[in-house]
Amino acid sequence: MATAVDFPAASEATSGAVGKRARHARPGVRRRREMLLVWVFLLPSLAVFFLYRILPLVWNAVLSAQQFSLFAPSQWIGLDHYREMVDDPVFWTSLRNTLLFMASAPVGILLALAISLIVNAGIRGRDVYRTIVFLSYPLMTVAVGIIWRWMYDEKVGLFNYVLRSLHLIDTPLPFLQSFELALPSVLIANVWQILGFYMIILLAGLQGIPQNLYEAASIDGASPRQQFFRITLPLLRPSLFLAFVIGIMTSFTSFDLVYVMTQGGPSHQSELLITYIYKAAFELSRIDYAAALTIVQFALLVTLTWAGNRLAGGDAGAVESGA
Amino acid sequence: MALRSVRRPLRFAGRIAVLALAAMTLALAAPASAQQKKISFLTWNISDQEDLFKEWIAEFKKIRPDVDVEWLDKKGPELPAFYQTQVIAGTPPDIINTQGALWLEYAAAGGLVDLTPYLDREPAVRNRFNADYLAQWKYDGRNYMLPFYISKTLLFYNKTMFKDAGIAAPPQTFQQLLDDAAKMAKGEKTGFMTLNFDWLYWPLFRMNGVDLLTPDFKKAAFDTPEGVRVLDALAKATSNGSINKTSWTGRWVEPNGAFAGGNVGMLLAHSPAFFFIRGQAPWVNADTLGVAQAPGGWSTPNSHGLGISKGSKNPDIAWQFLKMVTSENWTEKLSARRKVLTGNVASDTKLLAQMKKDDPLAAAVLQTQVEDTDKLTGNWPLASDSRVKEAVYPEIQNAVLGRKPAAEALKDAEVKVNRVLAR
Repeated sequence: MATAVDFPAASEATSGAVGKRARHARPGVRRRREMLLVWVFLLPSLAVFFLYRILPLVWNAVLSAQQFSLFAPSQWIGLDHYREMVDDPVFWTSLRNTLLFMASAPVGILLALAISLIVNAGIRGRDVYRTIVFLSYPLMTVAVGIIWRWMYDEKVGLFNYVLRSLHLIDTPLPFLQSFELALPSVLIANVWQILGFYMIILLAGLQGIPQNLYEAASIDGASPRQQFFRITLPLLRPSLFLAFVIGIMTSFTSFDLVYVMTQGGPSHQSELLITYIYKAAFELSRIDYAAALTIVQFALLVTLTWAGNRLAGGDAGAVESGA
Repeated sequence: MALRSVRRPLRFAGRIAVLALAAMTLALAAPASAQQKKISFLTWNISDQEDLFKEWIAEFKKIRPDVDVEWLDKKGPELPAFYQTQVIAGTPPDIINTQGALWLEYAAAGGLVDLTPYLDREPAVRNRFNADYLAQWKYDGRNYMLPFYISKTLLFYNKTMFKDAGIAAPPQTFQQLLDDAAKMAKGEKTGFMTLNFDWLYWPLFRMNGVDLLTPDFKKAAFDTPEGVRVLDALAKATSNGSINKTSWTGRWVEPNGAFAGGNVGMLLAHSPAFFFIRGQAPWVNADTLGVAQAPGGWSTPNSHGLGISKGSKNPDIAWQFLKMVTSENWTEKLSARRKVLTGNVASDTKLLAQMKKDDPLAAAVLQTQVEDTDKLTGNWPLASDSRVKEAVYPEIQNAVLGRKPAAEALKDAEVKVNRVLAR
């Protein structure tokens, strides 16, 4: 027989069930509100990213398939610009030069590695050496280009003065006006400038390697050479990968150095893809063709970064834990 | 607790958004409510005349108090990029100053206002100008620009080097030019140099009867035995040091600087180079620097013009401004301050007369600018001028710097030019 006592029990059970439902519902509502808050705070950054990265990329791709005019409606021409690129000798020259520029990155990284190893050792004054090497990196690239241009100058340049003083040459070398020497001259200036940055990255990587690994290896009789190839290099992989990626990016973005030093000359011999894109857009008024060149450069950059990642063992060269 | 922690930032964000929207609405509404009009004019690397432009603006304010005028100045390599971005954004400067043939690209694409109807309505404005120079800005029979300041190439020569080499007078033929250059080339000294941008070197070809294009401007015409001969001669002269290599690799500072250094016998450049050189070279005076027309009297113009953008919202006001700044009163001021000819006949005549008294050497330089104006070259009415230049000049460089034989370079250039013209 139901009693008043039962009712309170029933109502307790009911209110308990209701309470249980409310406790289940509250986490879900709370989570939705939290997600909403996250999106509200992310939205401005995403909007900026979309407006300044995604939208221009899409517009660039569309532009590359159009005949664009500043003053008239554009016309769709499909892959015509890409077909034109195949027959464009300046495109192939600038592509070759960009790849050569990229190939100079490992040279710079090797030099930086050597300097990092020296600086990382307990030599006296290493902080000073580190600072001196790094000093080139914060300099404005335009300033670097102007200084190196004057150093390479045929009449009054430092290099010709030194080479002639040492009787290594009889007549001055036209470094930046020579078809053979223009690009290597720019590459040397570029490596000089970025060396300090590579050094900092590699130094940070070196200092992150536990010393007890070297101690253990010494105890086991490993030579310095073996320690370098079996411990240092593998554990430096993430830093090497980062330096390599930055080197690739630099070869695709070194507009200012080339523009100041040679303007891509003589006769496009030091032209990079990035300088050719600028010229096509703003000197030849061919924004549509420049857009097509940009798409090719973008595809190349993505492909090279992916290949570099694979070569570094994937996952941006990260070392497996427990290794 | 969690709900409260979410609500507060949301409410705050909402309030900020409303305030921002209100502020934007006010800002956008403000100009709409004003009656003031505005025009802007963009000049090409002439910021040294800031005071003059402020005077222009003040004077125009008296004529049109309802119009604000904004002045913008960009360096040469920056101006085209800046102008293009402004056109795409829908806010082109109302008035644009261009140098060389850049205006052609804009005019051919419908980007400039045709000034012919304005000039037809006001013949007095048309008659202000040197007819040959005004005609420089004609495309398809229509005038798109007015002269701002004018120049063309001439031959500067170092009289001291001439005397030392036993040369009595400036060369009258291409061969004489090469021979004189060879005589003066010794050690660090070279005999001849030219500027190379905007076709300024083309008189060297034209004086030998080599033209760039066929009369209908549809095909390349320079790949001829004469063209090969000229280019081969220039290459040999560059190789043996008679012609300074910087002719083909420098733009402005390097070649003019080299001539100012006193080690180059002759320089083919336009008149503004004189003031740069004189500023750099203490040796320059009437006894040491000579000026003459290049052999055959051929020259390449490199003048500055003023036009109205098609996208201008106030083209009639822009025309009023143009009329004012190209009037005798204002062109006299510009020419006196900057020592340039403006294409305004009355002002130019006054300037030349005054300078013959004050600065005979500068007067001699400027006098060459109004002579042989029927022998202008390097000024083809091509919308694709920059692309044709890009097709030709690297091959010229290849030949003169010894990378390719002249015949092969011209053949390759011809293929590229014809491809550009066919597009």
